[in-house]
Order: sequence, then C-alpha cells, then structure tokens
Amino acid sequence: MNNSLAVVLIASGVAYGTPLLFASLGELLAERSGVLNLGVEGMMLVGAVMGFWTVERVHATTAFTLVLALLIAALAGAVMAAILAFLVVTLRANQIVSGLALTIFAGAAGLSSYLGNNLNLADRPARHSFQAFLPNSMQNWPIVGPILFGQNALVYFSWVCVVVIALYLSRTRLGLNLRAVGESPAAADTMGINVTRYRYVHVLVGGAFAGLGGATITLAITPQWVSGITEGAGWIAIALVIFAFWRPELCLVGAYFFGALQALAPQLQARNISLGPTVLWANALPYLMTIAVLVVVSSGTTRRRLGAPAALGVAYVREEH
Amino acid sequence: MMRRKTALAVLLAAVFALVWASVGSGSTTGNKAKPYKVAWIYVGPHNDGGWSQAHNAGRLYVQKMLGSKVQTTYKENIAVGSQFNQTVASLAAQGYKMIFATSYGYVTKSIAKKYPQIKFEQATGTLVTKNVSEYFGRAEDTIFLSGMAAGAAAKAANCKTIGFVVAYAIPEVIRHTNAFTLGAQRTDPGAKVKIVWTNSWFAPAKEKQAAESLHAAGACVLGQNVDSPATGQYAESVHIPWVGYDSDSAKFAPKSWLTASVYNWGPYYLKRVKAAMNGTWHSGFYYGTINDGFTKLAPYGPGVTAKTKQLIAKYEKKIENGSFYEFTGPLYDQSGKLRVKKGVKMQVLKGGTNSLYGMNWLVKGVIGSPKG
Amino acid sequence: MRPRLPVTIEQRLRRPRWLAVAVPVGSVIFAFLVAALVLVATGHGPVSTYRQLFDAAFVEKGSLDQTLIAATPLAFTGLAAAAAFRMKLYNIGAEGQMYMGAITGAAVGLYLGGRGGPSPFVIAAMVVAGGVGGMAWGLIPGILRAFFRTSEILTSLLLNYVAGLFLTYLIFDSESYWRQTKGFNATVFPTGKPLPPSAIWPGLSFNLQGGIVFPLGAGLAVLVAVLLWFLYSRTRFGFEAQVLGDSPRAARYAGIRVRRKILAVMAFSGAIAGLGGASQVGDFSHALDGDPNGLQLRGYGYTGIVVAALGRYNPFAVVVIAFLIGGLQNAGAALQGPSFPSGLVGVIQGIILFAALGGELLTRYRIRIHLRGGRRVSGRVPEAA
Repeated sequence: MNNSLAVVLIASGVAYGTPLLFASLGELLAERSGVLNLGVEGMMLVGAVMGFWTVERVHATTAFTLVLALLIAALAGAVMAAILAFLVVTLRANQIVSGLALTIFAGAAGLSSYLGNNLNLADRPARHSFQAFLPNSMQNWPIVGPILFGQNALVYFSWVCVVVIALYLSRTRLGLNLRAVGESPAAADTMGINVTRYRYVHVLVGGAFAGLGGATITLAITPQWVSGITEGAGWIAIALVIFAFWRPELCLVGAYFFGALQALAPQLQARNISLGPTVLWANALPYLMTIAVLVVVSSGTTRRRLGAPAALGVAYVREEH
Repeated sequence: MMRRKTALAVLLAAVFALVWASVGSGSTTGNKAKPYKVAWIYVGPHNDGGWSQAHNAGRLYVQKMLGSKVQTTYKENIAVGSQFNQTVASLAAQGYKMIFATSYGYVTKSIAKKYPQIKFEQATGTLVTKNVSEYFGRAEDTIFLSGMAAGAAAKAANCKTIGFVVAYAIPEVIRHTNAFTLGAQRTDPGAKVKIVWTNSWFAPAKEKQAAESLHAAGACVLGQNVDSPATGQYAESVHIPWVGYDSDSAKFAPKSWLTASVYNWGPYYLKRVKAAMNGTWHSGFYYGTINDGFTKLAPYGPGVTAKTKQLIAKYEKKIENGSFYEFTGPLYDQSGKLRVKKGVKMQVLKGGTNSLYGMNWLVKGVIGSPKG
Repeated sequence: MRPRLPVTIEQRLRRPRWLAVAVPVGSVIFAFLVAALVLVATGHGPVSTYRQLFDAAFVEKGSLDQTLIAATPLAFTGLAAAAAFRMKLYNIGAEGQMYMGAITGAAVGLYLGGRGGPSPFVIAAMVVAGGVGGMAWGLIPGILRAFFRTSEILTSLLLNYVAGLFLTYLIFDSESYWRQTKGFNATVFPTGKPLPPSAIWPGLSFNLQGGIVFPLGAGLAVLVAVLLWFLYSRTRFGFEAQVLGDSPRAARYAGIRVRRKILAVMAFSGAIAGLGGASQVGDFSHALDGDPNGLQLRGYGYTGIVVAALGRYNPFAVVVIAFLIGGLQNAGAALQGPSFPSGLVGVIQGIILFAALGGELLTRYRIRIHLRGGRRVSGRVPEAA
C-alpha cells in the first residue's frame, strides 16, 4: 500500500515541494509589504551554495553543523535581498528590473556559480545532509508513514514556519500593519508606520527564506552542488504565491501540489502508465492553474480583491514639502 | 560651473585613454615558440562529475604531457547551435587550431567549411569531412560488464527487476541500455530492466525522482545512463546496490556502489593533438575499445562478490581477444521478434536500425518505451 | 519623536538635460570601478580584463559579427518591453512571445520555403507570421488585464513557462511538423527540421574585420525602433498611450478608450517580441530550436527588459544599449575559460545593471544633506534660478 502511486506521489510532493514552500513563504512576505521580488532564483542559488559550503568546511557531522549551514544559507539569501531592498526601497528603482538584475548577478551564470567553482564545491557529496530520522517502524505505517513520518527535519521545520507566519499575519499587530503597508503605503505612513523599515525587514526575511529553500536542495534533496542546481524553482515559487492567494497555509498546499506534479511523469513511466504527453501537461498545469486563479481573484464581483496587495510593485515615495 | 565640468570630463577622458592605450590586449606573449592552441567545448559544466568532467580530465592529461608546447582551454555550458558557432568564431579569432567538440550535433558542415584552418574532432557524431573527424568508442562493452555486476546483485537480492535511469531516447542511450540488460541477463537470467527517461543528460533532481519511481515500482538494483550521481545517492539512502556511469562515483554511495563504465579520453586526445602538431593528422572515424584504453571498469565496491569479479574478468578477456561480442545475434526485441540472426555481429554504422548508431529498439527484457 | 535623518530625498521639479546623459555614464563608470575591485580581489587585472572584454566585443576579427548576433534578439525584446513599459504595462512575457513567434515563423518558413536563394515573399511571410504568433501570445495577458483587471506582470510571466514547455514538446516529445524526422541524423538526436534555402534570411556583408554580416533581423529591429519612436512621439495613439501611462483616471476622463489601448499595446509589444523569434529562426538557427538548454536558456526576453530600462524606454537608446549589452554577452562568452570563471561575467554584468538602475534615482530625485546647526547643504549643484 505504501508503494501505491497515490502514496508515493504525495510523499514525493511533500519532499520536493519543500524548497518551493520556503521560497514562496519568503516571497509572500516581501509581496505583502508591496515589493515584487523577482530575484528569488538568485537568492536560492546563493543560499544553496553557501549552505553546502558550510557543511563542507565544518567537518563534524552533527546536527549543529546542519543548523549552522541553514543559518549561513539564510544569511546569504538575506545579503542578496539587501541589495534588492536598497535598490527598490531606498533608491526607488523599478522593482521588476532590479529583481531581474539580481537574478543575473547572483544566478547560475553569476555569483553563485563563481563561489561554487572557486570554493571547489562541485563533484563531491555533501559531508552531512538531512535524512529521514524517525524510527523505521513509524515510517512504515500505512499511508501516513511515508507521507508524514518519512520526511527530514527541514520538512517539519517548514511546517512550523507556515504556522508562525500565518499567526504573524493574522494575529499580531506587526502583521496587520504589514497588510496596510502592502495595500496602501500612504495610509500606513500617516498612521505612523515606518513603511521603509517594514519593506526592508520583509524583503530581507524573504531573502533568508529563499536561501533556506536553496539549501534544502543541496543539503536534503540532492546532497551535492552544481551550477544552477535550483533549475527554476525560484520562478515557480513566485507563481506559487499567487496560486496560494498570498496565504501561507495555501502556500503549503500549493507547494506540495506543484512538487507532486513534478514527480508525476517519472512515476507514471516507471509503472508503464502512459497518459499522452505527460511531461507537457504535468509541467504546464501549475502555471495554467495559477493564471486561472489570478483571473478569478482579480475580477471578483465585489470590488474587494482577495489577495494581491494593492501596492505590489509600486515604489513608495513620501511627499515632503 | 559648466566649464569646470567639461574640463574635468576632458581630463578624465584623457587619463582613461592613456591607461587604455598603455595596456596591451594581453593576448599575445613574446614566447620563443608559439604553443599550439587546442580548445575543448563542453555541453555541461567542466566539473559535473560525469561526461564533461571526464573530457576535462583528458584535456588536463594532454596539458600535462605536452607542457608548454600546447595551450589548452575549455568553454563550458555551450548549447548546440548558434552558441556553439559563436564559441568557435571567438576561438578562431584567438588563434585556436584544434577543437574537440564533446557532444553530438555541435559540428555542422557549414561551420567546418567556414573555418578550414581548424581541425574539428567531434564526439558521438557521424559527420566526417576534410577537417572534421569523429570519435567515440565501445562503452557498450564495459556497460555490458557493469550490467553483469548489477544482475549478480539482483540475483543475490532475489528480485528480478533492475531500474535504469536514462536520458534521451536516442540510439546511443538505447544501445547502452541494451548492453546493460544483456549483461544483467548473463548473471541473472530472466532479469527485467525498467527504464525511466529524464530528457536531460544532467538533472540531479529529475534523476533522483526517476530513481525513486523505479524503486517504488519494484526495482532492487539501480543503474543509469545519465551524468549525475543523484541516482546513487538515492540508492545509498535506501540501501540498494547501484551501478554508475561516466566516472568513478564511489564516494557518493560507498556502500551501494558496484562499478561503472568509465571513459578515458586522455590517450586518444594526446594521440590526435600530437598528430595535428606534426602534420600527420587525418580525419576519420575512431571507435575505441577496451584494448586501446578508451573505456574500462571503475574499481569495484564492497558489494561485488569475488565470484562475480571472476566472471566479469573472464568476459572482459573474451571481449578483448575478440571471442565474445555482446551484440552478436540472436537478439530479440521487446515484442519477441528476432532482430539479429544467430551469429551475426552488429556493425557500428552499417545496417540501418540494426547498426549500433541506428538502433532504435530495445532488447527483450527491457520494460519501457524506446520512444522516450 | 523619531530622529530626523540627516539626508532627505526630494523629488526634482525640473530635470536638467545634462543629467540625463551624465547619470547613466557616471553610473556605468561607478560600476566599472566596483567591478574592478571585484576583479582585483579575485586575482585578475581590471584594466587588462576590460581591454580583453572590449576587444572580444568589438575589435577582434569576427567580434562585431558575434556581437550583432547577440544583440539582435536583445534589440527586439528590448523594444517589445519599451513599447509596453512606457505605458506602464509591464509585459514580462517577451520571452514566451519570442518562442511563439519562432514557432509560427518556422512553420511558415517550412511550409512556403523551397529551393533557390532567399525569397522576399517567403521571408516577408515569416516576418508576418512571427509577429502574429507573438501578438497572439501577448494578447492573452492583454485581454486578461483589459477585461478582468488581472495583473499582466504575473500572467505574462507565467505564460513564459507554458510557451517554453510547448516549444520543447514540439521538438523533443512529439513527431510534430517542426521536427526533423527524415534521414539518419534525425534518429540520433531530436532536432528541428532545417529551413529550406529560400526561407533563410539574408544578411548584408561588409568587408570589415575580415568580413562581417549584418543580419536582416538587425535591420528590421532598427526599422521597428523608428516605427516605435514615430508611434509614440508623433501620433495620437502614442500621445493617448502616454496619458494612460501617467494617469489612468485622467485618460478615462479624457475619453480615451482604455481597454482598446491596453489590447493594442500588448498586441504590438508581443508582435515585436514574436518578430525577434522569427529572426532567431530565419537569421541564426535555421530550424526551430526546442532544446531546453538552447534558446530557452539564453534569457533574451528577460535581458531585453533590462536593456529597455537602461534605455529609459527610448527606442533608439534601446537599440544602442542592446548593441552594447550584446557586446558584453559576447565578450563574456569569449573570455570564459579555465582562467576566467564563467560566474564572474554574470557578477560584472549584475554590478553594471545595479549601478545603472541606482543612478535612476539621481535623475528623478535630489539628495539633500542637512548639516548640524540648521544649515542646509544641497548634495547636488544648485540649479540656476
């Protein structure tokens, strides 16, 4: 039963969706503050390479090593995000172009590749990596075994993050202020909320999460480093935030759904099930569904839009006289 | 105010021009004898732990053996098509006289005609002209041997299914899959090889997903014809044996590692560069063998029994002295039809779909579609 | 009381002319200085590296040829982005629109082409087909924006992926019309069907640097730039589009048909990108390139957006900058090798882009520095009263 297609797909979806989940949570925070971060892919790649580097440098194979690697990956992502934040929040540069420039700077033909090659990180297995750690007996329980108990610590940590962020957005003062910043920065400003500070903090935290997402790939999913190892996950994360109506709990559902779709084609092949051009529609489906969601969300019969922060993508300038 | 600004601008420009002119372009050096410039072009990163890295090892071998007489360089991540053409153009402008193009489809008739002063050597292709030579080799022999190791492991585990992660549904990969299967069937008669296509030479995440899906579908041993060791890392995590490809990747899966077919490009590269340098270079079609060091088996892992090692050694010797060739008939395809008659040996280029380079059918025992 | 920052940023009331030139130049110089630091830190001499870059882009034999090849698609996608961004319609879909234009252009070329030299009829048909393909793909986000108020940023971005998957499917996963199925080589690796000789776009040969070819696509791009300039600065359509970009409300009060404008601009922008796709097929690859590591990895659509931004959406500036960035890309590829890690090229390109983008601020805003004691000192030269 645990080898049935459905169970395997869901378990795969959880595992492969985790980097998407981290990255999309980060993107969600940035977008809620009104900044469209198109540099996610670059931030993920830098986090991936720096997390891997940490594990290679620290020879001990303890849990501490992995935690340190995650911290450094998050820090690396945040540093990249700081560049973006400086450009779009302080210098009021166009957000789209700045994000793209950051992807060029940090991406597979840029900084992340440079660091990985110079630090000799290619062609070696990670000295230490995240593995499933719960007892085998639990992992073999029917259905919930592989799906819930067969995952590694990063997956469980991502669940904690989802809960924390959901509570932050809906229950705390800061989170509610964030809503105002994203919907109408001018109004938030008159209320005394420091728009600049909120944007900076959330873009930086967003970058940190993107870094974590990248580290998930090099430390858990395929514990090795090669240039461009995220293979477009950052862009999928941007789509995922939209698909999830800018809500963290839906990011989780969406990430696992996208992850499962990625695993669908090989699973069907291995079982000799042919459903036509599986690769094409399985890969295209997430994007098409996201577009459909977007249309529904933005053309609601009531004028109130259900998700997108109204000031997303617009630089805020306080008028001074 | 404006005048001061313009003066400043003019001064800056003058300083700039002075510095610029004083620095040479840096590409010419005053050496006594100009080194022979040879370039390698890779389809992936030079340190991918697989195909391109093996070529790079060959390049470094040439550089080591010929020292200052050659100047070698590489360009990585070059796609087939206009990117390749651009790369060749810039190499030509820098005076490179020989280019090793390490992927199918790189060298076209038109690009070869455009640069008659450059000797092109292409891997895995078929085009041969005055200045284009082709090279590849009988990796299928060592892949067959590595398949024997996989079959032995499957027999010991008493399951009849081996999973094989493959890239593109092209004759090269199909022939390698067939060789692997024939080898596995020697040590585990009746073994089945299930395949999953990733549609990429190098894609760690996709390869791991393919490995997972094969394992979930019943495979107890894994093998591959793709370039990253992701399959092996997965095999190690679920404690099943693994046969690699392209390079000795035992470090990625110390316990699961069985062996792999490995390319050794160095000797061929050295031979050809030397020939080009002393004017004896002719274009042709080189198909290397175990005998001339083109391919060999990587060192065994702990899971290969002494008995299996002996058996593999026996077959290797037979291949080397010509008394055994895995692609000798009778060979049946997946539907049971006889494709190659008894005693007939398949040729490299001749024979249409019954040639090594034209093979588009899978042998009996492979489960999966040859169309990708 | 929140502490007052010593620096405030005020919007300029007037933009001096010289600033429009000085700032981009200044920021590029600044970028080169920062990049020089990076180069020194990584053990490369900055001036010699820059010299090598320059030579590889413009001076060496055959370099202009390669620079033109790199610049042509960037000119198209840059113009496509400029056409839309000027109206604050953020079409990020040039990438996918280019793929679609390549598909339709290749289809027409394969169907109508035959023997003999390049045929003006076939090529014109390819141009039109490419434009139509891109236009259709660009109209999807356009329609969604005009009628459903869906953000075109997100829809056009998502459609890029769908277009890419479809492009790969046509060559790798199906026996489509575009795929080469005859001949021995077709079985060895999936490739696109080569265009018949009369569908191959000619170029203008110059006896420079040992013979360079000015691709037809490059010429078309310049034409498009002229057209775009004319459209936006000399026609009523352009004027209305500008108004719409600056203030949608004002445009509505003025009776400008907003929906029609959105559709028209997205269609036009998509068509330009599609034309770039047809140029890729007709000028350079001579077959449909469905390899995921080929056209789809070059990122012309996204780089074009950056080119457009650097050119402040002025069509002629966009073409010039496309040429310069094309040179930089070409030089980076030429420089790449064992002694010059490929990552470094992206780093330098990124720094240049950052500096140019950051410089944007200085044209629109003025920085005022407040000294202690109440005396205000302006951070820029005071403008003449």
